[in-house]
Amino acid sequence: MSAVNEPQTDFERNARVVLEQSLSRIDGRTRSRLNQARHAALEAAGARRTGWRSLTLMPTVGAAAAALLVAVVLWQRQPAGEPPVVEPQHAAEDMDLLADSEALELLDGWDGPFYEWATAQTDNVQSDG
Amino acid sequence: MSEFATLASPYSMPAALHGDVDLTDPEAQTRSRALNQFLAGVELKAFKIAQAALRHEDDALDAVQDAMLQLARAYADRPAQEWKPLFYRILENRIRDMQRRRTVRGRVIAWLPFRGDEDDEEPDPIAQAPSPEPQPPRRLELEQAVGALEKALGGLPRRQQQAFLLRTLEGLDVAQTAAAMGCSEGSVKTHYFRALQALRARLGEFYL
Repeated sequence: MSAVNEPQTDFERNARVVLEQSLSRIDGRTRSRLNQARHAALEAAGARRTGWRSLTLMPTVGAAAAALLVAVVLWQRQPAGEPPVVEPQHAAEDMDLLADSEALELLDGWDGPFYEWATAQTDNVQSDG
Repeated sequence: MSEFATLASPYSMPAALHGDVDLTDPEAQTRSRALNQFLAGVELKAFKIAQAALRHEDDALDAVQDAMLQLARAYADRPAQEWKPLFYRILENRIRDMQRRRTVRGRVIAWLPFRGDEDDEEPDPIAQAPSPEPQPPRRLELEQAVGALEKALGGLPRRQQQAFLLRTLEGLDVAQTAAAMGCSEGSVKTHYFRALQALRARLGEFYL
């Protein structure tokens, strides 16, 4: 305490001595409770500091968790096994079929057994030749 | 102040022992230790000030506890030199709240037909335990002076009482007292001067 704050008169000096003396009359129970209150306050301050540090780490932890979640979702959506490979030759045939309007008309009145018979005949003729 | 440090030391605990202090963070440890030291330095005086205002030990303890908690939760990161006026400002607010609540409660209880007698409790042996302070040779004389001053303080208006205790017991300067009381420095000087006049008139210039 600075000299500026020192009591200026005898009365003030006496009053200070008496007030400080009155502190020594505070009983053990009260001192114990004040001690407990102080420790509770210190724990509250520590908890607040810990909580604040957790909050500052929150964006980093959140971003990492989000990235992990996205990675897991993408990995699970991928189909199992090897993807089907489309050979270029078959792709061209499919394109011809789709582009051929007559073929589409044939598909409308599809007669499976007839076409199988016709294909077999064609194959026989080619093998005989 | 040195006398007070002697009083507080048996009840002090190293800050590092507190559960929530991060032992790997030296700054947190230093902060916690400083706060512990500050609270240990003000707790008895704060209790005395609250007791003078509330005239009830348990209420005074509650007020001091609340003030400690609020300071720790809201202002522990502020510079340590700001703690004292902040703490006493919080304490003053708590005291005022309790006085208001007590006024309301008194009005309600006055209307109740049956009221229990609160003085029926058994005396607490811990409360009866002697203070650890060594017995001074002028004990009786001081005891009487303490009683007379406490009685005279009890008769002062609240703001005068507060200004007197903050300046004389806690040793705050005018600016700190003004911050703690939430008023101007001029008001502090007026309250303090009037408190001195009233106490002198009651106790005499050399009452000790």
